Formats: sequence, C-alpha cells, structure tokens
Amino acid sequence: MLKKCTFFVLALLLVAGVFVPASFAEEPIKITVLNYFDLTSPGAEREINEVWYEFSVRNPHIIVEREDLFLDAFHQKTEAYAAADMLPDVIYMWPGGRSTSLHTLGLVKDLRPLLGEDAKYYQEAVLAPQAGGFLAELPQTMTSSHALYVNVALLDSLGLSMPETYEELVAMVPVLKENGLDTILMGAQDDWVIQSCLFSMIVGRLVGDEKLNEILAGEAKFTDPEFLSALEFYAQMYEDGVLHRRIMQTDYAEVNGLFATGRAPFMVDGDWKVSNFLTDQTTGEALIPVDRQHEFKMTIFPAIPGEINKASSSGVVGVGFGMNAKIPAGSAKEAAAWELIKWLQGPEVQKMRLETAGTIPSRVDVTSDNIEPLVVERIRYYEDIAITTEVLDNIFQGEVYTPINIGLQEIGLGFATPMEVAERIQEAFDDWFARQ
Amino acid sequence: MKRVIHWWTEERRAYLLLALPAVAVYWAVMAFPTVFSFILSLTNYNGGPVFNNPNIQFVGFTHYLRMFRDQYFWISLKNNTLIILISVFGQIPLGFLFAYVIHRKLVKFTGFFQTIIYLPCVISTIIVGRLWRSFFSPYGPFTEFMQKFQPGWENELFFDPKLAIVPVLFVILWMYTGTYMIIFLANLQKIDPALIEAARIDGATEWQVLTRIMLPSLSGVIVTASILAISGSLKSFDLLFAMTAGNPARRTSVLALYMYDTAFKHSPKYPLANAISVFMVMLSLLLIVLVKLTEAKFGGRE
Repeated sequence: MLKKCTFFVLALLLVAGVFVPASFAEEPIKITVLNYFDLTSPGAEREINEVWYEFSVRNPHIIVEREDLFLDAFHQKTEAYAAADMLPDVIYMWPGGRSTSLHTLGLVKDLRPLLGEDAKYYQEAVLAPQAGGFLAELPQTMTSSHALYVNVALLDSLGLSMPETYEELVAMVPVLKENGLDTILMGAQDDWVIQSCLFSMIVGRLVGDEKLNEILAGEAKFTDPEFLSALEFYAQMYEDGVLHRRIMQTDYAEVNGLFATGRAPFMVDGDWKVSNFLTDQTTGEALIPVDRQHEFKMTIFPAIPGEINKASSSGVVGVGFGMNAKIPAGSAKEAAAWELIKWLQGPEVQKMRLETAGTIPSRVDVTSDNIEPLVVERIRYYEDIAITTEVLDNIFQGEVYTPINIGLQEIGLGFATPMEVAERIQEAFDDWFARQ
Repeated sequence: MKRVIHWWTEERRAYLLLALPAVAVYWAVMAFPTVFSFILSLTNYNGGPVFNNPNIQFVGFTHYLRMFRDQYFWISLKNNTLIILISVFGQIPLGFLFAYVIHRKLVKFTGFFQTIIYLPCVISTIIVGRLWRSFFSPYGPFTEFMQKFQPGWENELFFDPKLAIVPVLFVILWMYTGTYMIIFLANLQKIDPALIEAARIDGATEWQVLTRIMLPSLSGVIVTASILAISGSLKSFDLLFAMTAGNPARRTSVLALYMYDTAFKHSPKYPLANAISVFMVMLSLLLIVLVKLTEAKFGGRE
C-alpha cells in the first residue's frame, strides 16, 4: 500500500513538474530601451538602482535590455536606428527638436489612449500635443533651456549686485576684467549650446513666438528687422565684453568646474545644469558643496533694450519615453512597454529625479523633503519667469536650425555679420519650405 | 561538356576554394557598400526601408552639386589637404629621420627614444583628443604656460580661421610619427649591414650612405607609408571628433566629420552624406595613383 502511495505521489509530482511550470510560469517579455543617461552625473548610481534595478525586481516577467548613451552619441544612434527601421521598443525622446523625425514620421505611438484616466496625475500643460500633433512621449518635467546662474558671493566680494538691465551688466565688465574674471561663462564648443541656452531666449524677448510662427508659415523672414535685431544684439554682447569668444573653445562639461571655482560671476546654460553641481551620493562630493549652495542663485537674463516680452525665458515640455509604433496594439509587449513607461514617470522615479537632479516633476503628486538648496533654488527660479517662449531647435527642422547654430558661432568669431547669417538661415528655410 | 570538365580542374577548384572566401568578404564589406553608397547618393532616400520603398527616386547628381556649393565642404577639404600634407611631408620624413638616428645609433638610449616616440600610438585616440583639448583650452595648461612668459596672453588659437587647424595638425604629427618610425626601423634592419660597412670603407660619408643606399632601398616602403598616410588622413575622424568636434563654426572640420554631421547630426541627409563618402573614395584613389606614378618615375630599386 505504501509502495502504491509513494508511486502515486511520485507520479503526481512528475506530472506536476512537467505541466505546472508551463501553465503557471509567465513567459518573460523582452523590452529594448534606448536611454539618455549621463553616467558621470552625481545621481547616476541612484538611477541605476532605484529606477532600472527596482523595475526588474517589481516586474520579474519583463526583461529590460537597456542601451545608455549621452549627448550626440545618443542622437546619432537614434537617427541610425530610425533610418534602419530598427527602433527599440521604448525610447527616450524630446517633444520635438532632435527627436522631430520620430514624431513626424509616426515612428512612435500616441500614448494618450494608453494613459487614460491616469492623465489626472499629470499637469495639464505637459500632456499637450507634441511635434507630430500627438503625445509621443510622456514628459517627466518642464525644461527651461535658458537660466542665468549667478555666483552671488563672488558678486558681493567685488562690491557688485545683481544686474536688473543689460546696461547694468555691461557696466560690470571693466570691474570683472580688472579682477581677471570673465563676465558670462558658457560651455559652447558644441554649436547647439548658444542657440538653445542663450539665443532662443533673446529671440523670445525681441522677436516673440507670434513672429516665429509667421516665419514658420512662410509669411515672414529671418531677414526681417525683428530677427535681425536679435542677431545684432547677440553680436553686440561680444563687442560689449559680456560674452567672450573663448566660450566657443570651452567644453560643455569643463564649464561646470570653471563656474563652481569662481572664474566668472555668471554662467548661461539650461536649468538642467543644476544636477552637475549636486552631491554625488556615492562619493559624498559635490562641485558646489551643500554648505556653499546658498551662495548661488538662478534667474533669467536681465532686461534687454527693446524687448517686447519682459522676463521671458525659452523652454519646452520636458523629455520622456515613447513607445515604438510597430509594437502591436493590445499585445503583451505593449502592456509591458507601457508598464515600463508608466514606472519611469511614476511618483517614485520622479521623486528620485527631483532629489538627484532637481527635475521639476510633471506629476502633481510628487514632492520631497530631501532636496539640496540648489534644487530648491531651481524650483524657485520658475517664479522669475513671466513668459515661456519657444526654443528654436524645438520648432524648426534640423536643416534650418543648423545654420543658426553655426551662424551664431560665426558671428561670435567675427567670421560673418548678422545679416549674412540671417540670409543663410532664410536660404536653408526656403529650401526646406519648398519641399513641404 | 568536355570543355566544362577541362575547365573544372583540380587546380582551378583549389584556386577558387582559396580565393572565393576572401573575394566574398571583400565584396561584402568593401566593394558592395561603396557601390551601394554611390547608388544611394543619386537618390532622395532619407530613412526607412531601402528596398521596395516607393518614395525613393533617382535625382541624378543633385547632391554632388549641393556638396560643391556648400562652404563647409571646402573648409573640410582644405583641412583634409593640410592633414595629408602634414602626414606625407611631416610624419613620414620625421618618422624616417627618427628611425635612421635610432638604427644608426647616432644617439644614446635608443630604446628609450623608440618607446617615447611610439608611445602616443598605443593610447586611445579619444583619450588623446580629450587630453589635448584640455591642454589647449583657454583655461588650460597651455594658456597658463604662455601667460608665464607673456602676462595677459590671450589663447586665440582656434579663433583665427587660418590657424584653428594648427593645434590639430600638431597633435596629428605628435601622435602618428611613431607608426612610421617603426615601419622604417623594421625595414632599415633588413638592409645588409655589410653593404653599409663596404660603403664606409670605400670612403662614403653618412650623407652618401643615407641618400645612395638607405633611401633608394626604402622607396617601396616610402610609397606604402605614403598610401597609409593618405588613406589615414582622409578618414581622420576620431581625434578631431574628440578634440574639437569640427568647431568652432566647423573651421576644424574634415571630410569624414562633415559626412558624419550630415548623416547623423540634426536632420539626417543620407544621400548627401553618401555623396561625400563617394567623393572621399575617389579622392583617395586619385591620390594613391599619383603616389604610385611618382614612385614609378622617381623611385629607386630595392
């Protein structure tokens, strides 16, 4: 009897061993991700552990294959993937700009139907249609592409105060020069930096979005007095000594150390630059230590003569993750990819990004009491902005903003006049417009 | 039928067996991409599937005309020409000179010098580019060093369009001269020492040994080195990408960087990028033919 029972139990176990795993175990779903990630940033370790590793722990049935790239390498790989029709399942994207082709060619899905009721957790502004006319990526933040970083302690030590107008800024130049200091630092060796972080703001102040939209519609020109005046003001900044040509010989990362060590009282960059100054949790070190962070301030550029928009800054809805349009609707893969995108903009991850990079959450339900003074300052900085205007590389196609990027460097170096650059941009625009 | 059997000899089969794999690999990775690149340069292809794409049309040589009208193409070509000149007339003579001095033991510590001169070749190009970028930065050691001698000196190396490429040329000379030194050193060691000994006994001076024995013996090597220098110069990319990325205002761009920017930066323009690559291949072939012709006319016999 015992033998029979043992035989029966063993047989049952054998049958269960064969059939149970097949019926109950969930088939793992592989999701490929192209991620934009600065592995040298202070919050890198937290991102790996708290975002990616944590997701794999919570979702063991989803296998994430991630490819991390940064700056141009990322954009170039994206274009290569798009050209080869081999986009990964989930991809880090901008709402326009250098991701425009992903939007306009319909290479990614409209996420709005997937978002459904969860839309209530996001600020309404961030869910606005993007470059392709739909919600291609779920934004993690709002981004201001222009911010004036101020070393207040340095200004105080020189007996100077925050300039309210451009004229007051110009008046500081001789004093700073006498002390062997630059006025404004920029890491503008890469040609996008001036356009994105400075010139877009100038265009916003002197030209305005209405005129830009007229240009985009072919009803106005880059050679019109308004746009030309923006280029001329930018050229004037070099003549006044506010900008120096050496910004175009300064690496984007090199400028962080230069500003932190007081080479100049001002730096112009995007508001994202804050993350480079925060404490690296792995080493406990920071370019600007917590006890010195109160010496720094973020604001916007002083009033420009002739500006039509006062206290404006250039900005866009922030970056986020989109989903490959080729994933079949209603499939398990779509559900897994959406699970990942939801997680990446979920409250835990946005809280972590707020703490490590000062990224303003796009969700309404995220806050933290564990943030450094510079992050608090980044949040406060948005109070200084009265109007947010367009970033040029977000509304124009690459073949139009490329001559803007190069032209701005040429004006700075004295290789071209504002009019010559305006004509070149208009020529590029006409070429593009004729093909639409 | 008989003729087929006659053609299909064992020797022929062995020949095909040995040659076909290499031919297939060469066709797959060299010849086919070149031909395909040329075809794409004549179309309006701009992403998406290449085959069975109804939107692809032939547009003739439009992209070549566009390339020739672009000022940044000419800036890149000029910079490439300068790099070729510094490679052929800088790296090769200097490499030969160092090899000759070391081979003839005209200095002490030859092993030390050999290592020092070759060392840059074994460091990653990207690292070298980043290091030199920091070195030439307006806030870097070069500026501080110059300011020691001339207080208030402004580092404007990259601001003059004519001079912007000079620091890059210097680094290229510093980095690759060691390669040619090693090539020449290896070939100098193949020359029979008895030949030089006999010449010296017959009263030949060091200069005569160099010009009458060494250089004629190495003419083939000089041609090979020139071909390597030309092709290497035309594909210059990594060092420039890391050091200047072609900036400021594309004044330090080269053809490979110009092609890369056109293909992958901002909005992609693949046909134009293909036109640039085809131009580079043609230019490379032309220069190599010129080198071969020069060798045939003036070269000595090894």
